[in-house]
Amino acid sequence: MPYPYRIPLLALGMISLLLGLWSGLLRLGFDIPAPQPALPGLHGPLMIGGFLGTVIGLERAVALGRPWGYAAPLLSGTGSMLMLITGREREAAALITLASAVMVIIFAIQLSRHFTSYMITMAAGSAAWLAGNLLWLGGGVVSEFVLWWAAFLTLTIAGERLELSRLLGHSKKALALFGAAAAVFVAGVFLQSAAPAAGARLAGGGMILLAFWFWRHDIALVTVRQSGLTRFIAVCLLLGYGWLAAGGALALTAADWLPGPRYDAILHCVFLGFVFSMIFGHAPIIFPAIIGKPVVYTPWFYLHLAVLNISLAPRIAGDLAGGDSLVTHSGAVNAAAILLFLANTVTGIVRGVMRKS
Amino acid sequence: MSDNATVYRALKDVVDPEVGLNIVDLGLVYRVEIEQGAIAVLMTMTSPACPFGQSLAERAEAAVRRAFPAVDNVSVTLTHDPPWNPAMMSVEGKRILGIP
Repeated sequence: MPYPYRIPLLALGMISLLLGLWSGLLRLGFDIPAPQPALPGLHGPLMIGGFLGTVIGLERAVALGRPWGYAAPLLSGTGSMLMLITGREREAAALITLASAVMVIIFAIQLSRHFTSYMITMAAGSAAWLAGNLLWLGGGVVSEFVLWWAAFLTLTIAGERLELSRLLGHSKKALALFGAAAAVFVAGVFLQSAAPAAGARLAGGGMILLAFWFWRHDIALVTVRQSGLTRFIAVCLLLGYGWLAAGGALALTAADWLPGPRYDAILHCVFLGFVFSMIFGHAPIIFPAIIGKPVVYTPWFYLHLAVLNISLAPRIAGDLAGGDSLVTHSGAVNAAAILLFLANTVTGIVRGVMRKS
Repeated sequence: MSDNATVYRALKDVVDPEVGLNIVDLGLVYRVEIEQGAIAVLMTMTSPACPFGQSLAERAEAAVRRAFPAVDNVSVTLTHDPPWNPAMMSVEGKRILGIP
């Protein structure tokens, strides 16, 4: 699909992100207008299905290189907009579930051609998204399926990193250890459906194992010694693994798996600390692949990465220590970090266009 | 420098930012053909699941065009046959990544 036709799909993802941030600020208690009364309750679906599902779906469609693959981001982006307009989740959940089904089909095709460990891992991620979406569509409460959504993102990222890290050459033992770590994580996600607390603890253990595996084997350990954008990407990754391990540790030691401050801390370690650190590192590469315009890197990119990581620590501390005010204000700075990331990325695109002309 | 060497020199300006290596040292360039005013490059990606193929191929084409401004017919084709593997990296590429 030519680059210009992809931009509206990317825009659907970006709108979902902005409204998802707005939703997050409302949930933190900020007294700001709500364009949609139901917005505070849509935070998770907007951020995961609307934003991440759409952008990852776009990435997968570009990789597949077939027009029908773009049905995935179109469905999830449309579902997200429907949710924003109507305030209802059910119809949006149906569309986003279909989007994840398309992504599963995309991976089934790619697996049939290239049956590799990294492809299996990413395919498992898309299957996890589908599983979580089916539970959501079936009317489950968020705590019942959010770990499936976490598995979607964690396994997608893990698969991509595994693919790239094979440049270093992995021994059979190292690959087996990766498989074991991923299996512990996935087993925990499955178990959580029947035994929520035990499953969350097992999944947490798996997250810690995955984080340590990547701290040992990711090519970022090599590329962090390089310079410029390559080093920046590596720093994002290595910090992100820290948040994955932190979320895992909190889950591993959790007494229960019920909405509350600790649950909030775990989710934000994973979805914000881990996933957004990865997004910050990945964006300068994936935006050009999707829209055909380069993103010119500058050291200013470290600013949004620093603001996110420095503001997330007090937020998590506030969650664990009962400091509501700390959570609220740190959460606002988390949102500011993401807005700064968007501003820096747009500036990088403008610089790229100006350089070319 | 021969035309063939000039093409490879130009392609070395195309860097995969995730790895910090150019596409020649990564072993992504399979073949360069120059004949009668046309330059054709056959290249691959590290993975068929990689979404950056088109983008990297466009950058490779732009690099070759900059090196040969008088040549109109420049094409870069992507293939996964044979699939890339780490052994295809150059000695220099392996040295930079610390691989024996």
